[in-house]
Amino acid sequence: MDPLQDHSRLLTRRALFGKGARGLGALALANLLPRETFAGDETPGIVPHFAPKAKRVIYLFMSGGPSHIDLFDYKPAMRELHGIELPESIRQGQRLTTMTSGQSSFPCVAPMFEFTKHGEHGTWVSELLPHTASIVDEITLVKSMNTEAINHDPAITYINTGNQQPGKPSMGAWLSYGLGSVNRDLPDYVVMISRGKGNLQALYSRLWGAGFLPSQHQGVKFRSGAEPVLYLSNPAGIDARTRRRMLDGIAEINAAKYAESGDPEIQARISQYEMAYRMQTSVPDLMDLSDEPESTFELYGEDARKPGTFAANCVLARRLAERDVRFVQLFHRGWDGHNNLPSEIRGQCKDTDQASAALVADLKQRGLLDDTLVIWGGEFGRTIYSQGTLTADNHGRDHHGRCFTIWLAGAGIRRGYEHGATDDFAYNIVRDPVHINDLNATILHQLGIDHERFTYPYQGLDQRLTGVEGARVVNELLA
Amino acid sequence: MHIAPLLLVLGSGGENAPVDFSREVQPILSQHCFVCHGPDEGTREADLRLDLPDVVGEAGGIVVPGQPDASELVYRITTDDDFDRMPPPDFGEGLSAGEIATLTRWVAEGAEYAQHWSFRPIAKPTPPATARAGWVRNPIDSFVLARLEAEGLAPSPEADRATLIRRLSFDLTGMPPTPDEVANFVADPRPKAYDELVDRLLASDDYAERMTLAWMDAARYGDTSVHHADGPRDMWLWRDWVIDAYGSNMPFDDFTVEQLAGDLLPEPTRGQLVASGFHRNTPTSDEGGAIDEELRVKYMIDRVKTTSNVWLGLSMECAQCHDHKYDAISQRDYYRFYAYFNQSVERGFQTRNGNAEPLISVPSERQEVELSQRAASIAEVEAFLAKSSPPADALATWCDGQLALLGESGEPDLGPWFALGPFQGSSKAEAFRTDYGPEAGPIDLELEVRGKRWEARDDADGKVHSLNPSERSATYLTRAIQSPTAQDVAVSLGSDDSIVVWLDGQRVFENDVGRGAAADQDQAVLQLPAGTSRLLVKIVNGGGPAGYYFKLKGSGLPEDVVAALRTAPAQRDEAQHEALRAHFVRSVWPAGIERVRVAEAAQRRVDELNRAIPTVMVMEDRMSGRETFVLDRGQYDAPREDAPLAPGVLEHVFPLPTGAPPSRLGLARWLMDPDHPLTARVAVNRYWSMLFGSGLVPTVMDFGSQGARPSHPELLDWLARDFVESGWDVQRALRQLVSSATYRQSSRASAEQVADDPENRLLARAPRFRLHGEFLRDQALATSGLLVDRVGGPGVKPYQPPGLWNEVSLNGNLRFQQDSGEKLYRKSMYIYWKRSAPMPAMATFDTPIRDTCVVQRQRTNTPLQALVTLNDVQFVEAARHLAQRLMHAAEDFDARLDRGFVLCTARPAGDLRREVMRSVFDAQLADFRADPEAAAALLGVGESPADAGLDPAELASWTVIASMLFNLDETLTRE
Repeated sequence: MDPLQDHSRLLTRRALFGKGARGLGALALANLLPRETFAGDETPGIVPHFAPKAKRVIYLFMSGGPSHIDLFDYKPAMRELHGIELPESIRQGQRLTTMTSGQSSFPCVAPMFEFTKHGEHGTWVSELLPHTASIVDEITLVKSMNTEAINHDPAITYINTGNQQPGKPSMGAWLSYGLGSVNRDLPDYVVMISRGKGNLQALYSRLWGAGFLPSQHQGVKFRSGAEPVLYLSNPAGIDARTRRRMLDGIAEINAAKYAESGDPEIQARISQYEMAYRMQTSVPDLMDLSDEPESTFELYGEDARKPGTFAANCVLARRLAERDVRFVQLFHRGWDGHNNLPSEIRGQCKDTDQASAALVADLKQRGLLDDTLVIWGGEFGRTIYSQGTLTADNHGRDHHGRCFTIWLAGAGIRRGYEHGATDDFAYNIVRDPVHINDLNATILHQLGIDHERFTYPYQGLDQRLTGVEGARVVNELLA
Repeated sequence: MHIAPLLLVLGSGGENAPVDFSREVQPILSQHCFVCHGPDEGTREADLRLDLPDVVGEAGGIVVPGQPDASELVYRITTDDDFDRMPPPDFGEGLSAGEIATLTRWVAEGAEYAQHWSFRPIAKPTPPATARAGWVRNPIDSFVLARLEAEGLAPSPEADRATLIRRLSFDLTGMPPTPDEVANFVADPRPKAYDELVDRLLASDDYAERMTLAWMDAARYGDTSVHHADGPRDMWLWRDWVIDAYGSNMPFDDFTVEQLAGDLLPEPTRGQLVASGFHRNTPTSDEGGAIDEELRVKYMIDRVKTTSNVWLGLSMECAQCHDHKYDAISQRDYYRFYAYFNQSVERGFQTRNGNAEPLISVPSERQEVELSQRAASIAEVEAFLAKSSPPADALATWCDGQLALLGESGEPDLGPWFALGPFQGSSKAEAFRTDYGPEAGPIDLELEVRGKRWEARDDADGKVHSLNPSERSATYLTRAIQSPTAQDVAVSLGSDDSIVVWLDGQRVFENDVGRGAAADQDQAVLQLPAGTSRLLVKIVNGGGPAGYYFKLKGSGLPEDVVAALRTAPAQRDEAQHEALRAHFVRSVWPAGIERVRVAEAAQRRVDELNRAIPTVMVMEDRMSGRETFVLDRGQYDAPREDAPLAPGVLEHVFPLPTGAPPSRLGLARWLMDPDHPLTARVAVNRYWSMLFGSGLVPTVMDFGSQGARPSHPELLDWLARDFVESGWDVQRALRQLVSSATYRQSSRASAEQVADDPENRLLARAPRFRLHGEFLRDQALATSGLLVDRVGGPGVKPYQPPGLWNEVSLNGNLRFQQDSGEKLYRKSMYIYWKRSAPMPAMATFDTPIRDTCVVQRQRTNTPLQALVTLNDVQFVEAARHLAQRLMHAAEDFDARLDRGFVLCTARPAGDLRREVMRSVFDAQLADFRADPEAAAALLGVGESPADAGLDPAELASWTVIASMLFNLDETLTRE
């Protein structure tokens, strides 16, 4: 049954059979309904500044800092460097985290995995990522990402909010604020979290928070289990019919209150209660993968059948994209390979490789990749040198912000392209650096937003996602 | 949007009035010119500053008073020459025609250049005369009414009494009025009834709690440390101090001085020390790889930001990296201000396990009494043991026996300790497992191990010694042991946390534990060969302090006793006699042992008490000052070491009072100087915004040149001046605001009012706004009778959806442990505030994360809020209790419903509402009668049992009605 239609029918019935004031209240209520939105449509004029290439973004955030060295940023010369001390000419006195700054030895470690070239341009990809390797002609690899932060908390806060200190809005909140809503039944900014097998770093609600923006723009977490959105389910003993009856009663009294007080906020409240009601159907429908054909699970992998996995979240991300949700962010945890990196990263890749590649392929086959921007990446990379003891089959790598690799696909991003380069140690950038603020500026650009003009006045400053230091749109990444 | 008419209304006093520099000209200059021609030396072009009055009449004719045609400024903004025209085309949006006209007119009218409005001295304006008689209740109303009359508008009539008591109750206490309170007030026609109500509310605990809640946002209060592991901390004693301060109406100047510098007051009281914890609410980190100084600098930056946001209403952050672009705050000014905080003793790298130093213990009165009782009984025993003489023959017999037992073998000789480390692991387990060098083989004290050297320690045995408290790290200790013969000796050990012991490379003992170090936690036996052997001890610390304990047990007799025994009785000196007597009395003589046991039991209780006594983090400065430098681009590792900066205030805003010390105390005295232009204005504006939903200056945190101008500048000054002259009396200030006719207006808005003044800046009506999430939950608890209104104490963990902590926590293993019983029903301000995963029911209603200072909350209206009040266990359980209450209160439907409406909205249902609710109720009752399981399921929500004496279908139906009551706009809103 269509709840909205049902609701209108009810209103009409009330309008016909109600008496006096009640009938009027119901009619007034009917007039209020078109105002319904999720995050509010009060700001439609802000952006876009120009025609966007991307209508929506799916950000596969790899929390913990995946090792660019073991996945993408490979050079055969690394094999020769294995076991030698990191030369001072490479380290250049750059600061290290205090987890390794006391080490007396910094032995370089070549990846303990095979690399082969893939795609039209012969892109090196690790054996750990066979599925990603199969889509290299579809994506742009950026090997020259960099950030100033060298520890998780500041780094992950920085890349998600443009600032290392707490208090600023997340990218998704900025987009929700700027772009408004396209979907009537779902939030603009959805966050899903999955955990890998590696070392789990903490996450913080500020990473999807609204900072100083109105808090309706904060990310809404979708979770596996009985209650996909917090407080979504009716209490025990309250069925849909009872809930509908309650909401109708509330709406009728609220409409009367509006007539008495003239406060437009009441109209908004009536709409929001209706939206909440619709979400009670739309979100479970979205989360229910039973209508997915077998081919979905062949594509994304068997893990996708298991709620809460990264693979299942990737399927959900595609379903959200189909429903025009603006910004979907998946946080996959466990990439913090300080010790036992070889075994941990194998597990992490097994959890993420197939589904990440499947998402791109799936969006493409559905015609959604043209206007969906997919981003894969973490908050920093890892060091060429070993953290702790280097043995024949085991080692660790510390945090490394001076370079790391991410990939992008879809929505006007170049296909089959590698951008930027690092030295033989994958330690310093030698060509075309891309700061995390540049990446964010580029993401905004694909959404039709000039990052310098996309501001919000707070505490005397026109605040923006890309900070005050200046950032550039990396046009080279664009098709 | 209807902004245009509002701007017209607010923009000027009429067509012919002269341009107001502060309100009209300066914002244009600030927005369009200051970036290149303002305070920032780094980006200044053409050596031109438009932010200083000197620009008017300056040689060269930038601004020539009265002569627009001769003024370069006017030429530059009007010329068609692309090269000359300002602002340059690539600098944002250009000037609008209106802005050009304003600037031109300003020059033509004489170019009066005033200092930025909020930096000017606070005036003492006389309340203006008004035409309408009888409306004005106090001077506030004169200012408001004069403005309304100038615009040709009239104020709204007074709200009805039911609305007024509910409005006052929520505004001043965050709680709904009870039905009795409503009935009494509505029935009391005396004019004084209103004042008495205000007095009663201001005198309540609820008032103190309500004010504290707002202050908690500003102080970024939380129960966890924010960064990395976001571990627990205990700052609730500070929060309780704030409650007490508001409860006793502490003047705002004392309130400020004690929180910013309570530790620096002469002979500070415990309360003043606790108060100084304000700035220990700063987010801190325990991240393994972090650089200590980087973190420490972050904390200082947070303190500058919070202090300037809260007291000055200024954002100084820009000047952390470069001169401020809009306000005259140079980078140097910033770091001089920062220097006040930079003296703090605390480290950058803090703990994930509770409070970090410096901290103080704060025993309760009961604990203090018991502590002194126990101390007295210990002293009594000690006095007895010191004086008592055991029977002489018994002592002599014991001495002879012991001497025979001691025999000839010599005790081993223990060499000095050397320490190595700490070595950082990524986990405690790894640090325990890993050999960082010395474990495998012979130890050479001269050899460097992984860049570290053995260092001698001067540790005496038999005491707990601290080690460098690096988290997840291992430290080694070694010493040589000489034994005259091969022998087994027992050693007693203690450690924080894990310990491993090797003798000559053989692992002889290990215990992988987590604990604090104390005497005699472990026992081990060393099989010493004759001659020299080498002992190696490894202490592995998981977090917090680290330390160890070592004692050779040997014969079990203290060294001085052994020495005395080996001396012939006749040759023993006084001290040796005493050593033997004391040992005998304490350890051998039954009468002594009995008393020692009494003292030991007392001591155990003292230790137990000391562990139970809560601590709170406080501020403390270093004895010797730390030098402060400008940090290039705000980077901790880029100090400009050429010239150290002395602490200093923003002198161009207000000079430092003479005699103010160069410490936080001086800063606090500067802020609270009666003539400081910002502090009082910012404070009264914050109170105004609390009661009127928006400030007279709507940008509550920005009184700088980019901030909004006050809608009623004279009123703001009058309030600020009055606040200072009252001795910073907070309750008086609030009483004055709520007593005004302005406050007492109806909030009903006509379509014209909404269209012309949607934000109600002219105050022709009272505001209407959604209550804070805390108030909504508290209202549900209070109206249902569930509320447990105890004041203060540690945070509580009421219902929240499962899994929220471990899905974000470090290592993913931290689970939320819900409280039960009374703790489910405490006021919402006491909800345990975990800042990486704050309680979602509150966060959904705009409670800030509190990882940064927030002076004014957002006020949103979202579908997720509806889900909370409809579905959260807390609200559903409360609805059931409200239903029980209604069913017990009356017999018939109408009376019950009226009671429910009065509880939630302060007024009875009325026809329309009754009819709606009746039809829902009847339908529900039929449904629940047909489906008793559904009724039972609904009544089973929440921990508390349902009232078994009531008909389940009826109770369930009333629960539905109560839930609807909680979700009505008029319940969610303060009208």
